[in-house]
Amino acid sequence: MKRLLLCLGLLALLGGCKKKQEAHTIGLSLDVGGRGDQSFNDGALRGLEQMAAGLRYTARGYEPLPDAEYAASLPPDLRGQSFPHLKMPPPLVLSGKAQEDYEPNLQLLVDQGVELVVAVGFMMEPAVRAVSARNPDARFLLIDSPVLEPSGKPTTVPNVRAVVFKENEGSMLAGALAGELTKTNKIGFVGGMQLPLIKKFEAGFRAGVRQVNRKADVLIAYTGTFDDEKKGVEVGQDMYGRACDIVFHAAGLDGLGVIKAAQQAGKLVIGVDSDQAHVAPKNVLTSMVKHVDIAVYLAVKDVLDGKFSGGDVVLGLREGGVGLAPIGAGLASPEAVADVEKLRAAIVAGKVAVPATIEELAKFTPADPSSLGLTHAVATR
Amino acid sequence: MLDRLFKPARDPLWSALAAVLAALIVSFVAIASSGRDPFAGFGNLASGALAGPGPLGETAIKSAVLILTGLSVAVAFTVGLFNIGAEGQLIWGGLAAAVVGRFDNPLALPLSLAAAAIGGGIWGLIPGLLKVRRGVHEVISTILLNWVAIHLVHGWLVAGPLSAATGSASISVAGTAPIARAAWLPRLIPGSRLDLGFPIALAIAAAVWFLLTRTRRGFEWRAVGAGSEAAYASGIPSGRRVCEAMALSGALAGVAGAFLILGTEHKYPGVFRTGYGFDGIAVALVGGGTAAGTAIAGLFFGAVRAGATRLQLSGIHPSFAELIQGIAVLLVAAPRIFLPLWKRLRSSSEPAASAPPIPTVQP
Repeated sequence: MKRLLLCLGLLALLGGCKKKQEAHTIGLSLDVGGRGDQSFNDGALRGLEQMAAGLRYTARGYEPLPDAEYAASLPPDLRGQSFPHLKMPPPLVLSGKAQEDYEPNLQLLVDQGVELVVAVGFMMEPAVRAVSARNPDARFLLIDSPVLEPSGKPTTVPNVRAVVFKENEGSMLAGALAGELTKTNKIGFVGGMQLPLIKKFEAGFRAGVRQVNRKADVLIAYTGTFDDEKKGVEVGQDMYGRACDIVFHAAGLDGLGVIKAAQQAGKLVIGVDSDQAHVAPKNVLTSMVKHVDIAVYLAVKDVLDGKFSGGDVVLGLREGGVGLAPIGAGLASPEAVADVEKLRAAIVAGKVAVPATIEELAKFTPADPSSLGLTHAVATR
Repeated sequence: MLDRLFKPARDPLWSALAAVLAALIVSFVAIASSGRDPFAGFGNLASGALAGPGPLGETAIKSAVLILTGLSVAVAFTVGLFNIGAEGQLIWGGLAAAVVGRFDNPLALPLSLAAAAIGGGIWGLIPGLLKVRRGVHEVISTILLNWVAIHLVHGWLVAGPLSAATGSASISVAGTAPIARAAWLPRLIPGSRLDLGFPIALAIAAAVWFLLTRTRRGFEWRAVGAGSEAAYASGIPSGRRVCEAMALSGALAGVAGAFLILGTEHKYPGVFRTGYGFDGIAVALVGGGTAAGTAIAGLFFGAVRAGATRLQLSGIHPSFAELIQGIAVLLVAAPRIFLPLWKRLRSSSEPAASAPPIPTVQP
């Protein structure tokens, strides 16, 4: 053992002499979902690598991203807007394989002297709390959770910007679309872990269905994980087998399994977080997108412009932080699409209060569809 | 086949060292062939594990857990059982610690650790009883009990009755309510997460060594492992001894789970994907099934795991640590499986009647 340590130490010296690590401006730590989840983590990576740094990640490291490819890689709903690349060195991205790896990952990024540490996912909240307190000069972006006191009460910290999304608003649009399009009047919702965050998707989705179609049933299932595609396939198959013709998933990597089940059954599925149409173009009706990419891009921009500030940021439909990805060609009737657009306008205008919890959902009474101009919804009733 | 894995090699220390060294060389070549700088990679791996109190602390917390799950597997093997259920036992131990640790009192820490040992111990005793009473093969029952534990604890208890209610939708707290401060494993050095778990793990390793090699009970366990019927014939209650060893095996894994909860998480988190229970098999294999060997192997793999955090600076995914571990296990296990096969193949070409092997008690 001693000899081994000696060897390792020697190697360390050799490695140390070789060259200094290159400077990084921005560091990002992924959660257990990791790169390639086609969803939440990939959204954050897109904001950092493609949009901010103008790079693409390959097995050999970063390469410059050609403009044409950049335009194609942007989610369709962002293509009209302009996100110019920012002047910055390549970012430093770390993966966390287990809960106890988050804190060393964040500390390592701070030690590397990055100007902003991006922590992707609410599971990193305790680690962000600890590392930000230990390093008051470092700046952090925490996505999907406010900073919490040990007692669990939300608080703000000057060197942490905490971004949360109104997923319930976007999910309500997804629910309305599903409610208008269902033929069997059976719609499915597949969540990942049973968390308040995922219940928020569920509450909004069910409210959307109820708003346009009182006859439709929503079947609810939770897989209990975010990183087990197999489970998603099982739950998805079960739902389609029970006559659901549209299923909405908010289940991370498990959701890719739900999409697979939709492909097998030839039914429709609604994706989440990123536009998942490319996974199964014939089956993905739309996706409830959560613009983690914009949140990351804006924070990086603020840091580079010297305008970064801590505190809470809430992104909803009005801010463009959530919404529906373009609806698959030929998958929805124009009337249904028009109704969803009217509902969107009503939510943005504050005419519809979207429930965020199951308790609020129980008290939710749908507004009169005609008052919102939902013509197709009235017809289905 | 399985028992061959744990037959002590002629010189277990050297064969393990050789395997680990070979694994490092193979992974060195793997880094180089992927177009990355292997010296920088290994430099980062080493500095991430050893350079300063922070990295050493990470090595210590990972090693402590791996030593205990490794000992868990090694103890079961002394009575001839292959415990693949350390993961499930670790989960119950962690949960027991998280529940008992919530009651604030001066004895919260020792009580939580004891609860973890009992929780894991019960989950280890079940396959032992099934084996002795009903002849259920422990490999099957322990694998299946892992899934029972995962789904009961993660799918129901932590997500349901034991989850911390927040009420507010914008807060996504996953897992149980936090444990009391008094139940935290105290951290020993400022600027490092090194906690009391590491010295406790080393002390437990020493105690297990003493138990297995210097006590009558340890001798009886080994006798049962060498041949339970022969042991029974000479007056050792084999079934009882098997159950005792499995309970201890489960208790060790349970305390490993408690270390994670009481040391770093301070609650039972909503996502508790560890794999340390399964890694315990690798640690025990490379450690040759002895307490000292297991402790050394646990230290080594803990260091590799901790170093993997920094390894990412060279553009290498942290799973690389598992590659090193996997290769080491393969190199340790392969000769023990294939050499005897090879010998048998060669000797079967000559018509020689081989005498039945005489069971021997391992030293």
